[in-house]
Amino acid sequence: MVKTKCVAMLLAGGKGSRLNSLTKNLAKPAVPFGGKYRIIDFTLSNCTNSGIDTVGVLTQYQPLVLNTYIGIGSAWDLDRKNGGVTVLPPYAESSEVKWYTGTASAIYQNLNYIERYNPEYVLILSGDHIYKMDYDLMLNFHEERGADVTISVIEVPWYEASRFGIMNTNDKQEVIEFDEKPKQPKSNLASMGIYIFKWEVLREYLEKDALIPDSSRDFGKDIIPMLLKDQKKLIAYPFKGYWKDVGTVESLWEANMDLLDEKCELDLFDHSWRIYSVNPNQPPQYIAPYAQVEESLINEGCMVEGSVEKSVLFQGVTVGQNSRISESVIMSDAVIEDNVIIERAIIPPNSRVPSGTIIRPEEGKEKIVLGSEELCQEMNNGM
Amino acid sequence: MNNKRMLGVIDATTFYEPLKDLIQHRTLAALPFGGRYRLIDFVLSSMVNSGISSVAVFPKHNYRSLMDHLGSGRNWDLNRKRDGLFFFPAPVLDMPEELIGSFHHFESHMSYFYRSTEEYALVANCYSVLNMDFKAILDRHIKNGCDITEVHQMGEPLEIYLLKKDLLIDLIENKDTTGYRSLKDVIDSGDARYTFCSYEYTGYAAQIDSIEKYFKSSMELLNQSKWHDLFRKDNPIFTKVKDEPPTNYKKGATVKNSMIANGCVIEGHVENSIISRSVKIGKGTIIKNCIIMQKSVIGENCQLDSVILDKDVKITDNTVLISEAYTNPIVIKKGVVQGELMQS
Repeated sequence: MVKTKCVAMLLAGGKGSRLNSLTKNLAKPAVPFGGKYRIIDFTLSNCTNSGIDTVGVLTQYQPLVLNTYIGIGSAWDLDRKNGGVTVLPPYAESSEVKWYTGTASAIYQNLNYIERYNPEYVLILSGDHIYKMDYDLMLNFHEERGADVTISVIEVPWYEASRFGIMNTNDKQEVIEFDEKPKQPKSNLASMGIYIFKWEVLREYLEKDALIPDSSRDFGKDIIPMLLKDQKKLIAYPFKGYWKDVGTVESLWEANMDLLDEKCELDLFDHSWRIYSVNPNQPPQYIAPYAQVEESLINEGCMVEGSVEKSVLFQGVTVGQNSRISESVIMSDAVIEDNVIIERAIIPPNSRVPSGTIIRPEEGKEKIVLGSEELCQEMNNGM
Repeated sequence: MNNKRMLGVIDATTFYEPLKDLIQHRTLAALPFGGRYRLIDFVLSSMVNSGISSVAVFPKHNYRSLMDHLGSGRNWDLNRKRDGLFFFPAPVLDMPEELIGSFHHFESHMSYFYRSTEEYALVANCYSVLNMDFKAILDRHIKNGCDITEVHQMGEPLEIYLLKKDLLIDLIENKDTTGYRSLKDVIDSGDARYTFCSYEYTGYAAQIDSIEKYFKSSMELLNQSKWHDLFRKDNPIFTKVKDEPPTNYKKGATVKNSMIANGCVIEGHVENSIISRSVKIGKGTIIKNCIIMQKSVIGENCQLDSVILDKDVKITDNTVLISEAYTNPIVIKKGVVQGELMQS
């Protein structure tokens, strides 16, 4: 049996509270995106495409949808005899249930999982981001540079830099300082929350951190600063390409709209780097004689009788006659009845938008509107 | 368990000469249909949705694509430790082709029938497009004390049969004495020893035995009531998963009355057509009344009317292909590159 060189630990317990009702019943990595995916599909597909076949998925918040979705990992070819995907929820010890209080504590409590494979390296990932990345290239870089830890970074616009964890580096790409959300950023290299650790370094520092009572058990806030203090070799790995943290309703909408932009670097049609997902098994989409569909992504099982422009339709969506949808995201199995107008909105899965409803953001108040059952009722009563 | 009582047998040995342009490279059971399916998907999914968990497929000609499509049966939930999907290729028989019946094919894999514990066998062909509940047939078959039930639609036989497995074994073993080489022979004989029953199926059904029939039945899917009859949420038609992204409709695309599978990029005009997975249609191109199979690429400013493009066909810019008659579509064979200056 081939020894596992690198184990991936995928943090998927995020609540994503700024996504409002979209994350009421599911964790942020399970939020639908791009007409047929869930956010976590990108990291899981990256793992498979990078040749990483041992992935621990750490779940905590509202895990039912996510656990069911991941299953035994078949959709991503991660149903393996050796390794594959393993969902790692918090568990009870003799005295108490140990919740994951931070990113570091989630990994610390599953050191025994990593020990089973005793790899050379551990790749820490977040299930919250949309991007395509070859982790194998990063691993080569990590080995070549002989780093203790390699942190993937991306250049962000300077005006946004204070929203991120910023890495200050010297001319050898060595990280000399880490600033969490700095007011006055000295660099615009943001941490993507992707780390490769030498396994023994990771274990040593997680065990050290566990002994500090007031630690917040976070990689960015606690582990990285401790490594810097001990002058460990931390190297920044520059990533170029599309990367998006869809933390808010607005950024989720934007990321969907990005897919419709010809210049977008996130190419879903690249067969050499497929994004895998659990397939719903629905018939092809049907576009009716009087329908209009332009600049849109439409998934299987949709029935379009109205007009759809600059929008993303998930599987099984119905759009009735004379309905007009523009710059919107309609999630799976939503039924848009006749004579409906939807502009710049996200309509959650299984919604029914009654005939005659108009959903659009209030002028000057909001950029995007998140549809809901209550909203539809309200709009209908007001008409 | 009640639903454990039927095993499924799919006779995939059929070769129809009138379809030869489309089935030279593949067995009929693997003929693409409805944008993302292969013909066998309909009968196989009906079996699975009727609770059948042991299915034997008997292929004969060019079955590489069929094996690739079915794989371990995972997409139909038939990758089981107990039962599941069985693949029994036809033996080489030293006798004239016209004397070989399905019983000859079944005979070389008798151990499958001996070993199965199911009491009944549902024997179906591989070229029927339908979504049928076989449990209902079994209930009727038992209630009416039938020996062999055949499914009909408006009096026409659909060549789908239900009988006791032991009777099937008996018919196969005694084929040389009786002269019956298939269940059709038994029905046609009207043999007085058996009680024959007919089951009328009222849902959508089509049997694909010629290019004309293939074309006509494909176009019927654009009829919404027929579409709903075939594609039912409670009884889905399963197929091999391809992980294609949603289809991208670019600026300037106009699509009317068409069925489009995932992974396509459409920039031109598409009307009354069935477009399979991963097809590209260029700017200024007009596609009408066409069936375009997987991964075909159509360039810019082309005009196609009443054409069937098989898989992996490439149509270069400015090509015009118009059939003289709607009922007699032009067929472009798999992998062909068709250009403006070439004659079809």
